Amino acid sequence: MSATAVLAETRGLGKSYPLVFRSRDRLRALWHLLAGRGHADSVAVLKDVNICVRRGESLGLIGENGAGKSTLLKLLTGVLTPSSGSVTVNARVGALLELGAGFHPEYSGRDNIALAAALYGLDATEARAKLPEIIEFADIGRYIDEPVKHYSSGMVVRLGFAIVAALKPDLLITDEVLAVGDEAFQKKCVRWIEDYLEAGGTLILVSHSMYHVQKLCRQACWIKHGEIAASGDVYSVTQAYQAYQESKSAAAAPDRRELLAQNPEFHLLDFSLNESGAAPLVLAQGATLRARARVQSRDGRVPVVVFGIVRADGTPVYGVSSEMDGVQPQRESGDVYVAEIVFPEVALLPGAYVVKAHPLDPEAIRLFDTLERALTVSGQSREFGLVRLRHEWAAAELPAQKLAVS
Amino acid sequence: MPAFRLALHFIRRDIRNRYLGSFSGGLWALAQPLIQLAVYGFVFVYVFNAKVPGANAPGYVPFLALGLWPWVAFSEGITRATTVIQDNAPLINKVAMPRQVLVFAAVASSFLVHGVGFCAITLALRAFGVPLDLLALPIALTGLVQLFLLALGLAFMCAAVQVFVRDLAPALPQLLMLWMFASPIFYARESLPLRYQHWLDFNPFAYYPEQFRALLLHSGVFSLRAEVLALLLAALALAFGLTVFRRLNPHFEDFL
Repeated sequence: MSATAVLAETRGLGKSYPLVFRSRDRLRALWHLLAGRGHADSVAVLKDVNICVRRGESLGLIGENGAGKSTLLKLLTGVLTPSSGSVTVNARVGALLELGAGFHPEYSGRDNIALAAALYGLDATEARAKLPEIIEFADIGRYIDEPVKHYSSGMVVRLGFAIVAALKPDLLITDEVLAVGDEAFQKKCVRWIEDYLEAGGTLILVSHSMYHVQKLCRQACWIKHGEIAASGDVYSVTQAYQAYQESKSAAAAPDRRELLAQNPEFHLLDFSLNESGAAPLVLAQGATLRARARVQSRDGRVPVVVFGIVRADGTPVYGVSSEMDGVQPQRESGDVYVAEIVFPEVALLPGAYVVKAHPLDPEAIRLFDTLERALTVSGQSREFGLVRLRHEWAAAELPAQKLAVS
Repeated sequence: MPAFRLALHFIRRDIRNRYLGSFSGGLWALAQPLIQLAVYGFVFVYVFNAKVPGANAPGYVPFLALGLWPWVAFSEGITRATTVIQDNAPLINKVAMPRQVLVFAAVASSFLVHGVGFCAITLALRAFGVPLDLLALPIALTGLVQLFLLALGLAFMCAAVQVFVRDLAPALPQLLMLWMFASPIFYARESLPLRYQHWLDFNPFAYYPEQFRALLLHSGVFSLRAEVLALLLAALALAFGLTVFRRLNPHFEDFL
């Protein structure tokens, strides 16, 4: 098989579920299906999805809950039948769909390994040969002979992953399962997937962790309301997704009319990043960030303005006020003051952030108002954390030819 | 071949499952119809004074045994297979697999267990001096295979329909009970009033106990015409059952 052989492809793939509320609907559905007609009423969860995964590729599927990611995976593994379009898979698929998928709770771990091997198409001898490897990878001790119903969720994931790892499928399809195991096992899994990809394996991964997606996948596909919203390079897709998430939470921000009705001492008139107005800003890593806020002062006193940057999940990154730096906002006209701060070559690592502006009283004690703007820093850095710290290595450089390869 | 391997796995699991946690293990397979035979034998022979009609007619117990074992295999196979898709919903909803395998395994394990029982009771009765024709046992076993095909066809249909209409499983034991008494298991065709005797021709199961008795007990005549008809019917049932199953199969997960 050539290196670019297509392992999985969908064309115009759609899936809809029948609307069934009462027993009578089931009978009617049975009648319709036996007569060879489709469902009478159905709701579409996936529409016109075209994806193509070649040997050696790694595709991350991202999207909100209920977007249809898991349905797509089930269609790819053949658990579900498409309502429209087609799925072609030319590979031995190892799937790790949900917690404990395919395990029978009453049977021991050993028996479930045998079942999984039979489902994968191994005969008894091959299955027996794999057994020690699976038991060692799962590392759940005597529980291997206990019924799976007595397992903790972590142990279930360990066993499931150990089976998939031992089967060494051409195409690994996995849903948000890495999130369950403990940290040591998660690392073991991620390391295994990295080795698997390095050895030419192919991966389709669903995850809500952008970190995992960016670490393991080179392509990504964002599914929104059952349709592909964006696909391509993992960094551009995850960043577009994060920006979308940001604008959604911005839209959900509380109404300001209530605040303004109280006629506070200070309030923000507007707040923008790099003259982009209220829209979310996408900034290249290392570019200059300019935040500008206009404050209305009720009594003509000069406010103190605070600017803060937090990561999308709320982790503070940096905050500073005009008072700390010993400066004052400039008077624009009448009782309107303007504060502007510039971060040259901003050190933020790629990811989603929120920039906040708050006017305070001149004593820098009371906080009157808050406005937030979404900021997405784009780039392909693989560094960890929030910001790039200045650093130097006391180490030898890589040999020249190895650098040229990478 | 992977499907066959998978079927073997499920058959093994199913048979092991039946006796898991029971003290006597596999003995139950023989014990259960044996107890049934003892109960029915007692009630019919000593209470109702039942006799097989005709001159040199066989004893009632071997007569009953040859009808009872096939029926137990048949009815149990269908009953078990009917809920097998529903019972394995967690597997079906998560793992891609040929679902026919589950139905096949449920019916096959019933026929394996009770087929062994059928052979055992035949040999036991022979050892007790009942004049059973052991040379005809292999032919009777092919008849059992044919009955398996009929059961499989009905099982495919019931298993598929049960996914959609859950009333089938609770209604099935009553229907099977009715069917049992409408079949010549406890009585011979000749015991029926003459005008009702040909009604048995519409019962696809009726052929089997009669044929087994003709073969093994030489009670009645082995009819080639009936054999061909029954084989045709079994093949038809299987084809129809598979068609229904195939048509509904892609929609199981929407209704499980």
